[in-house]
Amino acid sequence: MLTNSSPVLSDGTKISELIYPETREVQMRVLSDPEIYELEMEKIFGRTWVMLGHESEIPEPNDFIVRDMGSDSVIVARDKNGEIHVTLNVCPHRGMRVALTDCGNATIHKCIYHGWAFRPNGDFIGSPVKRECMHGTILEESELGLKKARSVSYGGLIFATWNIDGPSFDEFLGDAKWYYDMLFLRSDKGMEVLGPPQRFIVNANWKTAGEQSAADGFHTLTLHRWLGEVGNYSKKGPAEEESDEPDLTPEMYGVEVSSPHGHALRCIDLARKIRRLTGLEPDDLTVQQKLDALPPAGMTKDMVAQLSNNLTEDQLKVLTSMPPQVGGMFPNILFGFVYIPQPDGSVVGSMTMHTYIPRGPNKLEFCNWIFAEKDAPEELREKMLKQTIQLFGTSGMVEQDDSDTWPHMTLAAKGAMGRHMTLKYQAVYETGKPEGWPGPGIVNEGFTKDDTQWHWWLYWNELMNAE
Amino acid sequence: MQQVQEQNSDVSQGQYVAVGSAEYSAILTFLYEEAALLDQLRLNEWGARLATDLVYTAPLRHTRLGVDHAKSFVRSVMHFHDDYRSVMGRILRLSGQSAWAEDPPSRTRRLITNVLIRETANPNEFAVTSYLLLTRSRFSDHHVDVISCERRDLIRRETDGSFKLAKREALLDQSVLGTANLAVFL
Repeated sequence: MLTNSSPVLSDGTKISELIYPETREVQMRVLSDPEIYELEMEKIFGRTWVMLGHESEIPEPNDFIVRDMGSDSVIVARDKNGEIHVTLNVCPHRGMRVALTDCGNATIHKCIYHGWAFRPNGDFIGSPVKRECMHGTILEESELGLKKARSVSYGGLIFATWNIDGPSFDEFLGDAKWYYDMLFLRSDKGMEVLGPPQRFIVNANWKTAGEQSAADGFHTLTLHRWLGEVGNYSKKGPAEEESDEPDLTPEMYGVEVSSPHGHALRCIDLARKIRRLTGLEPDDLTVQQKLDALPPAGMTKDMVAQLSNNLTEDQLKVLTSMPPQVGGMFPNILFGFVYIPQPDGSVVGSMTMHTYIPRGPNKLEFCNWIFAEKDAPEELREKMLKQTIQLFGTSGMVEQDDSDTWPHMTLAAKGAMGRHMTLKYQAVYETGKPEGWPGPGIVNEGFTKDDTQWHWWLYWNELMNAE
Repeated sequence: MQQVQEQNSDVSQGQYVAVGSAEYSAILTFLYEEAALLDQLRLNEWGARLATDLVYTAPLRHTRLGVDHAKSFVRSVMHFHDDYRSVMGRILRLSGQSAWAEDPPSRTRRLITNVLIRETANPNEFAVTSYLLLTRSRFSDHHVDVISCERRDLIRRETDGSFKLAKREALLDQSVLGTANLAVFL
């Protein structure tokens, strides 16, 4: 099926023909075609870095969790020396799943079928009845271990790839790392999970969630309109009560960063929040004054001194004026580091990450982790945990509406006519970087646009067409 | 961080209230009425039956080995982690114009069975366990989402003899829920 150039589907269509660079459109067939899905498992999830969890989920030696890299189950285990390993959860003997639970602690991972045993790092230990040598002598014992992935820890987040000789994780993040560091590497002790992830199934193609996570700003105005009607952003001021129209538009302004690798960040302007909290013009305040008035989401006033240990002055400037609040990492990650307004005028942060695990062309598993800084006070952690659960993930009042939308798109993409329709990314930035913006990457300022999502699709296209 | 706490001791201690007794029937009626209000989208009326000190949670569930069964209930991150104020906030949202996850609303059936009631140290509070099978039908999909759980409630008798829900813990069976969200109450 593969040709020298773009992969060709069984009806003769090339993958590259489904993307229209001139008009910035994507044919909806990509959201439903089983052949495309199978190619993605190899060309995207088999090649790129995939997020599996966080080190704090397996704090002790021999702790393990079972996670997914695309369509493959993997064991993420900490060995007795504290090092983390990612191995394919398939017994090299007869293909049985080795780890059958979601998590646990095991010095030996023993397959229940024929009893082959493996260390947390995947090394083969032996098979039962040693003298009879069930595993034979054709292969060396060193060749009988679990298949090992290449893994890396970034701010404690565990990523892995089957692309053993491919780009490093830092190369994969590229320019976007400058921004992600503001979230994941900002504090002295780093962050930790507040528990295992929520998991649930959505009957939708993984890309409906993936492309939205590449920083779709516009949908907030309509799909999440309730926020302005009855939610945290509903209008309170007497002057504004005259209008029945909810207004979420101020949250649409800021800077959007995209990347040739499909990463995307929406850096949303904090000016309004700081003005409300201090009564002063943000431009007249120093970085320190802004940090004191509104610490980064998930931090306290006591913790902000740590920031200068870990971030540059330029990063601090961005973090205190237009911090990355929502966005994604290619291919299937969403992050939300948001400031949730409280009834008393104060702000509580929320730190969350999702992965959208492909479960077939029409199905994804939504996996939601909730974080806090390791040294955040207990009271703050409790507030962050509750508010995050109430707004995001399974029962989250914001994301309920997203997970009910993606299945409709997936269904629509199956129609004989519908699959030839296109997703359009034609709201194009013409602004470029704000003056004096210190950060790298593809940067534009102003009201949200479609550029970040379009760059997500361009990278999808690039990987799908790569050899 | 996979902290797992044991079931709070205030539920599941005292004497059973006899199945079929007047007190049992009164509480069973409360559960049936509650299910009817939720299935009929009478959310504000349901909200009126919640105590203001409500604790409303749904732990995560893990697949664990038999010896670790107790650890299969995860009460750190949960699917619901709510109180009276936040549940009323959910009702407010669902009653608004733009709660798309439930508009058009799901057609639901809450089947309540296996109800066991125990007395507690407080003569006006009862520890009630029930099984819930919730079927959820959306749009024209012939497939129906099935949500099954055991509910551990604390139900309080008010001075006027009516009942209020003071605590609910819904122990879901699925480690990966087979529904796209919990925009419905358990």
